[in-house]
Amino acid sequence: MKIAVTVCFVPDTASVIDIVDGALDHSRLNLVMNPYDEYALEEAVRIRERHGKGSVTVFSAAPASSTELLRKVLARGADGAVLVPVEDAIDPCQTAMLLSQAVSGFYGDVLPDLVFSGKKSTDFQSEQVPVMLAELLGIASVSGVTALKETAEGFDAEREIENGIECSSVKLPALFSVEKGLNTPRNVSIRAVMEARKKPIEIFPAGLEGKPHVRLIGLEPVARKKQCRFVRDEKELLGVLSDELHLL
Amino acid sequence: MSGILVFLEQRDGMVRQASIDLWNRLQEPAAADAERQPLSGIIAGPASTVGIETVLSGSCTIYHVSSDLLGLYQPEQYTQTVAELFERSGCSSLVFADTALSRDLAPRLSVRLGDSLLSGCSWPSAIGAGTCSRSVYSGSVVASFAAETGRRIYTISSQGSSAVPRKEGAIVIIPVDDLSGDTTRASAVVQMIAMTAARPDVSEAGIVVAGGRGMGSAEAFAMLDELAGLLGGAVGASRAVVDQGWRPHSEQIGQTGKTVAPRLYLACGISGSVQHLAGTGGAGTLAAINSDRHAPIYDVADFGIVGDVHTVIPKLIKEVREFLKKK
Repeated sequence: MKIAVTVCFVPDTASVIDIVDGALDHSRLNLVMNPYDEYALEEAVRIRERHGKGSVTVFSAAPASSTELLRKVLARGADGAVLVPVEDAIDPCQTAMLLSQAVSGFYGDVLPDLVFSGKKSTDFQSEQVPVMLAELLGIASVSGVTALKETAEGFDAEREIENGIECSSVKLPALFSVEKGLNTPRNVSIRAVMEARKKPIEIFPAGLEGKPHVRLIGLEPVARKKQCRFVRDEKELLGVLSDELHLL
Repeated sequence: MSGILVFLEQRDGMVRQASIDLWNRLQEPAAADAERQPLSGIIAGPASTVGIETVLSGSCTIYHVSSDLLGLYQPEQYTQTVAELFERSGCSSLVFADTALSRDLAPRLSVRLGDSLLSGCSWPSAIGAGTCSRSVYSGSVVASFAAETGRRIYTISSQGSSAVPRKEGAIVIIPVDDLSGDTTRASAVVQMIAMTAARPDVSEAGIVVAGGRGMGSAEAFAMLDELAGLLGGAVGASRAVVDQGWRPHSEQIGQTGKTVAPRLYLACGISGSVQHLAGTGGAGTLAAINSDRHAPIYDVADFGIVGDVHTVIPKLIKEVREFLKKK
């Protein structure tokens, strides 16, 4: 079974998000693998382990300097990585196009059996790239998968919708974007880190045609601080919420 | 080319409230540029349209593809159907309420039609101008985006989850035959399991009662269930609570959970980490109950009671019961 996993890198929770002149100040950012992508990669590795054969290859459209970050991803059990160097800001559709070119270029005429992606990135949270990639590859997909079961014909997948669960049956090849809770990613051992040093990272110079569909105009910091009014007791709180604000 | 085509999402044959609110909001004076553009709608799947003019504002046309094949959300059939109707309508904008369905469908349409997608837009967004703003980086930053194509697709976040009053008008329903073709390669939704229909989903609730680590145990959430039930709201949870296994991930609010926009957010035993607050930026009023007066949640709260949730919440439930009796 050939499995592709897309990953991206986002600021970790300790990073300081500061906007200077309408742009993000990168000096106090520490990038890590997007948390949702950890679940995607873990699921891919588990499927390969279950089958006892096959390969898991990671694809990322990221700055050329991201190879060290990719080593950490490889330590989570992938067999190799393909980096599509990107220096300029691109929109979700262009990201999907680059990943699609890289996946098609890497596997040749036959698409991988499975593609896994994190449901969204925790920085911009567009939640667009996985489905767009499936669409560009021309394969079936399910978004935000919370349960996955292998069947004779493919996979049965579940995803959360408002007040319910949607159950799908999917034939391969297919892409699954993964929700938190699908699995618990393993801890990375020192040995896995050592082994990752020897794994291949291929540079795939994909090219973009045309202009982006969506352009980022600017970023503005949000002042969220409020003056909290401390109330005496529950009765006063309820009075405020009902009589003053009519919220109940 | 002008006109706004609104996707009216149905489930179990009923148009969903998120779509109805979006539609009615588009006709409010605040949506000034929308007023200059004619509105039309799409319903995919069997749905009763009898009496639809009693919930939807204004005069307009609704295309209804009532094929049974579209009863459940089938990604490929829906993509083909909506793409074809968007082309036929001649509209310049296709607008969705931001839901689990549209977050899957809109990117497919964007690629298939080559139209730009502005997703998760907060209201009011300038639909005529092709721009959108929404919060990024855990809600600490607002990003503005501009569409670079003539035709655009939008998904728009709900606001305050309060029903929008409707305006009088006449609605014309135009039945359309099934438009989908080859779907052999697609995934197929075989079943939809509805859960706790008596309660709104936390992402759509008007009131959210959320609990954090300070609740102390899974059992303590029974109080929050009771309070949410009385208020017609939903229970939410912080990441710590979900990671402890006290509540399901479907209730998690924050960076790796849901984004909520209730008119009232009641944070119980939640300290207020940046990651949690990433999901609460859309709340109208935030009230917090925490034993630590210096907890970061009080920096973003409108109202606070300093105290132990185990004593404050039972008293609050008692007060709510009395309030409801009088109401």
